[in-house]
Amino acid sequence: MRRGVGLLLVCALAMGGAPPAAGQPTSQPSALRMAITRDEGALNPYTYQTGYPGWNLMTLIYEPLFTPDADNIPQPWLVRQYTVSQDGRTWTFALHPNIRWHDGRPFTADDVRFTYEYVRRNPHSRWTGQVRTIESIETSGPTGLTIRLNAPSSGFAAQPLADLPILPRHIWENVANPRQFNDVVGSGPYRLAEMRDGQFYRLVANDQYFAGRPKVRELVLPIIRDATVTFTALRAGEIDTTVRPLAPEVVAEFERAAGMRVARGAGYASTILQFNAEHPVLREPKLRVAIANAINTRLMVRLLLLGYGVVGSPGYIHPSSPFYNPAVTFTASKSRAVQLLNELNYVDRNGDGIRDLPDGAALRFTLLTLAGNPVRIRGADLIRSWLRDVGIDVRVVAQEDASIIAQVWPDFDVCKGRRFDMAVFGWSAPVMNRTTALRDLFHSDCRQGTINIGGYRNPALDRLGADLAAAVDPARQKQILFEMQKIVAADLPVHTLFYQDGIYAYRPDRHAAWVYQKGQGIVNKLSFIDPPRR
Amino acid sequence: MWRFVAGRGAQYLLVLCLTVILNFGLPRMMPGSPMVFLAGEDVGFLTPEQRAQLYALYGLDQPQWRQFVTYVGNLARGQLGYSFQRGRPIGEIVRERLPWTLGLVGTSLVLATFLGVALGAVSAWRRGSALDLGTLGVAMFFESVPSFWLGMIFIAVFAAHLGWFPIFGAGTAGAAFEGWGLVVDRARHLALPLATLTLITVPGMLLIMRYAMLGVLGEQYIATARAKGVPEGRVLRRHAVRNALLPVATVFMLNLGFVVSGATVVETVFSYPGLGRLLYEAVLNRDYPVLQSTFFIITVSVIAANVAADLLYPLIDPRVRRR
Repeated sequence: MRRGVGLLLVCALAMGGAPPAAGQPTSQPSALRMAITRDEGALNPYTYQTGYPGWNLMTLIYEPLFTPDADNIPQPWLVRQYTVSQDGRTWTFALHPNIRWHDGRPFTADDVRFTYEYVRRNPHSRWTGQVRTIESIETSGPTGLTIRLNAPSSGFAAQPLADLPILPRHIWENVANPRQFNDVVGSGPYRLAEMRDGQFYRLVANDQYFAGRPKVRELVLPIIRDATVTFTALRAGEIDTTVRPLAPEVVAEFERAAGMRVARGAGYASTILQFNAEHPVLREPKLRVAIANAINTRLMVRLLLLGYGVVGSPGYIHPSSPFYNPAVTFTASKSRAVQLLNELNYVDRNGDGIRDLPDGAALRFTLLTLAGNPVRIRGADLIRSWLRDVGIDVRVVAQEDASIIAQVWPDFDVCKGRRFDMAVFGWSAPVMNRTTALRDLFHSDCRQGTINIGGYRNPALDRLGADLAAAVDPARQKQILFEMQKIVAADLPVHTLFYQDGIYAYRPDRHAAWVYQKGQGIVNKLSFIDPPRR
Repeated sequence: MWRFVAGRGAQYLLVLCLTVILNFGLPRMMPGSPMVFLAGEDVGFLTPEQRAQLYALYGLDQPQWRQFVTYVGNLARGQLGYSFQRGRPIGEIVRERLPWTLGLVGTSLVLATFLGVALGAVSAWRRGSALDLGTLGVAMFFESVPSFWLGMIFIAVFAAHLGWFPIFGAGTAGAAFEGWGLVVDRARHLALPLATLTLITVPGMLLIMRYAMLGVLGEQYIATARAKGVPEGRVLRRHAVRNALLPVATVFMLNLGFVVSGATVVETVFSYPGLGRLLYEAVLNRDYPVLQSTFFIITVSVIAANVAADLLYPLIDPRVRRR
């Protein structure tokens, strides 16, 4: 019987996955091990899963024409030269001549044209919308490309140029269902050598890469689901870094640890107090401003983030963004909150300590918050107690993500309305990076303000949003965005509470050339290869 | 005999049909739509047309009954379909993951049964002794600790602090071992999850065995055997343990069916690529096809284990033999 157990064990061990196929070079001790948190499909443009780090890892294999630099400004990458016509509608590109696909075929302008047309035909949540403004694409020779837009588009360089990765036409032209296609031949500095579902990805440097050899020969990406285990493995040296940001509580510990270094920078993900601007009471901007005045966001950053964060700007835009309007400020004051509430004639009429509306109903709201997120739950509780101090009764309801979405953003379609009062919510970093972010967040037309989950309406902001979408000149964009931030700060359709810093730990002896990309983190192409020379 | 077989067969068929219906219905009754997982984080920037197009691509625009017909039709043809999230055939994913789960949970079940039987028998044999009380105390402890906590402690002590075992994974990520090197690497990675899972499974087995043994030890034939002068060791092994094994065998068979469902918590803590984690991730991602398929596979194996138990019982215990 005992022999039986041993046999079972050996069988199980032997069965668990075949050795790698012949011809694949095996992992080297020099491999850089960077833990990720989940599977990312086949790491191709139609199967990767997360915006960060999924997109960043996928674009090591499949490259867009441009690449965002450390400040998130799109810079030409596969493109050697480009010009934009006066009217902003015609973009002409010359590609680098020596780019090759991982299978050795030349990368040409025709692949680019194919890709832009392909994502139009085969819906992709990220790119199909981005290529909507394209009127025509023409190629001239293997490296010449002209894209004509039906209207000038402010965000075109960022999206799609620096966002949409190019597919090899010779492999994808007959693929009818890209979501079930797992090929991984790209043109980037790395190619996928091995992939094990639920275990790891292995990327090896592409020695034929047109811009030179990548700084790291081999990248191994183990999937570790549990946060504590991830950081234990990092401390023990079983991994060299992780895409998981450090929790504020452990930053000091990792800064002190031998052989570890911590990279810290601005985080563009926001935590906001979202108002339902269609709510019969909360539609009053003065009330929203009063509520904001009762909330001490400075103290929130100290208590919840231990100082590793930035106090929210009332215009939503992060102070590190090139589009931030420094003239837009907000200083909370409890006495101002009380004064505003009195002016609105919301006073306690029945002596229960809660202010009442003129019709006698109590000033009482439900505040939704995400159950799995301790920072947001504690934030919601702080808001509850501060609002209670000024006579507003708030009931905090913590629910799981799907239930919150069902109330705040049914079917992820703002055209379908909303049923909530207030929510502690947040947007991920890419929202901040969109040139049109403030239009997307606050335009009253649900087809333009696609993430205007509060249903906010302001014709002046709508007009500026339309101007912004058509503005190609960065100076003009900045001017419009400054105006928009002023309106948002005055009306407060959302109250931006804070932005949590991105804090990442790594072992510098394994790789030290990390580039912190503003708002996002260290996992990006610039950490692995320098930009091509023009 | 044939009536019995037909009756049992009909019962299992009914269970199977009910499972197919529940497998389809339950995931769809969970709050939340798979949209965000189909569309990714850019779900907010889709136009309503694109959203509709995406739903249509996965057949989610169809009425529920039609989706059900498609699902049953595919199942009948042995097609498990494609994972929403992974874009790969589910059969392929399950084939990759099943060996890990069988290796971990199957080995653990066998180990836990042997340990449980041995310790339970000794414990009952020495009832009331310090050995019995000590064993019971330790068993109660492991019965009540959460598996993730035990796993974390093992990781902290045996992996991070002492460095005897790796911290995560089922093999060294990206390394290509062959022959003995491969077996050693796998075994080192298996050790801690296996120990965790076994330690939390042993107490259940132990308590059942001890209880059954106490019953048997009070029987007349044990007294008779002793009176006849049968040596104590022989009384224990031949007369007592054998007769006390039946309840343990029942629990073993029941657990055997659930082996394929994996050990979600342990697999997650140790980043072990088993079916339990696949199932858990499918729930989080509302990956309906994966949920349907894995639940279906689990049901089939539970039924198969039951059938096997039905067939094995008469061999283990002559009293349940029928004509």
